Amino acid sequence: MSANDLSLRSAVNDLYCDHHGWLQGWLRKRLGNAFDAADLAQDTFVRVIKARSALEIREPRPYLSMIAKGLLIDLFRRRSLEQSYLDALAATPEQEQPSLEEQAIMLQALMEIDRLLQGLGPKIKQSFILSQFDGLTYPQIAERLGVSVRTVNNHMAKAMEHCCLMQIRLQLG
Amino acid sequence: MSLSPAELKAISSAAQWYARLHSGVATDADQVAWRAWLAADPGHHQAWQRMTDVGEQMARVPGALAAPALRAADQSRRQVLRSVLVLASAGSLGWLGWRSEVTRDLFADYRTAVGERREFRLADGSSLLLNTETSVNLRFDGRQRVLELLAGEIFVSTAVDPAQRPFKVVTRDGEVRALGTRFIVRSQARGSEVAVLEKAVEVSVALSQSRLEAGQRMAFGPAGLGVVQSSDASVGAWRQGSIIAINRPLAELLADLSRYRRGVLRCDSNIADLKVSGAFPIDDTDQALAALESGLSLRVTRYSRYWVHVSGGAKS
Repeated sequence: MSANDLSLRSAVNDLYCDHHGWLQGWLRKRLGNAFDAADLAQDTFVRVIKARSALEIREPRPYLSMIAKGLLIDLFRRRSLEQSYLDALAATPEQEQPSLEEQAIMLQALMEIDRLLQGLGPKIKQSFILSQFDGLTYPQIAERLGVSVRTVNNHMAKAMEHCCLMQIRLQLG
Repeated sequence: MSLSPAELKAISSAAQWYARLHSGVATDADQVAWRAWLAADPGHHQAWQRMTDVGEQMARVPGALAAPALRAADQSRRQVLRSVLVLASAGSLGWLGWRSEVTRDLFADYRTAVGERREFRLADGSSLLLNTETSVNLRFDGRQRVLELLAGEIFVSTAVDPAQRPFKVVTRDGEVRALGTRFIVRSQARGSEVAVLEKAVEVSVALSQSRLEAGQRMAFGPAGLGVVQSSDASVGAWRQGSIIAINRPLAELLADLSRYRRGVLRCDSNIADLKVSGAFPIDDTDQALAALESGLSLRVTRYSRYWVHVSGGAKS
């Protein structure tokens, strides 16, 4: 282990000892839930360790809360998707209900899909959902959105390119 | 590792082909042209494989579920974006720039999760009890003590302020001014409600005002001030951890119970109006459901932890 690694480790250690309790309290106040707060505080420090930035931090609390805010919004995104998924499930007829295990697997898949679509423009995303999940043809989508078939085609190509690049990026970690 | 320009170009072309072939009106000529493109370069093959991987990922969730779920989730996120833009351009106007539910609840000063109840002691000695899924911002300054109730329900017990600053609870519907007192305010999408337990409050919506005494309650909202009604035992029972129902339609009771748990809680329409009385624990809503099940001979079906359906039992 190099001297640099050692000092990085001790910097992370100091950061953790000095601010972990504060960060957890900060998160608890916003989440209103001690378990989620403990998880996110832990995740925040994992991010700091991964970024190897502990030595350069001058103002630890604003820095930590900035990372934590990103994680909070992430958590919120997942929760809002989970809730809308549950609503969609509840709206399907009883005999078509998937088993509990299938439900869980699908939710996981849906979250991955959601991540691939993240960052797409709203119009492009709309076209994509209509085509991919509602099974509409491009002429039908064009009519519904009041655009040309050519535009729908372009939207689809852009969306697929975007998703593909996102998938590669996520696979590379 | 990053992608080479050639790889990026191949991915872009593959996406074009994918789009063309999935138009729902692709021709045989399109198929032939695509095959020629695919055969022209091994890099094209690899890029096409990536497209089909994406397509397979999309196919893992039935469209009938994925489409509405993605759209609904998207809507709340657009709200976040809008609120960020509003905040950036208007500065922190706070109340006037009524922030979206998402960001405002997440970054409120005091907040409870679904099913949680917490008490806070404020700097002036007043106490604040938050019911389930509630968020509150605190704005105390030299002139006044203001609580912004963003969502949910609170029980306030005010302390005497040496500086004699007025104490107010503000919701999006109006304002409740404490006149040395204990009271409950609830804010929900369709309007707000206040109930006085001790002394009095003054409620104002736009230009109209009304004084409310202990034992009285009132709704207020976009339509202005409601009618003064008298409270019963059910008001504020949540502070002791229960819902008290007095001849309440089942559907209403379930809607109330579902405030304290995540997920979906519904009943068949033919029993929605069934009148129910009793005390139901909110800290353990499963126990409340069990009580309904045995007490009223209803059948409670749990499709998952988050999704529960109540239907008429064999005996009812």
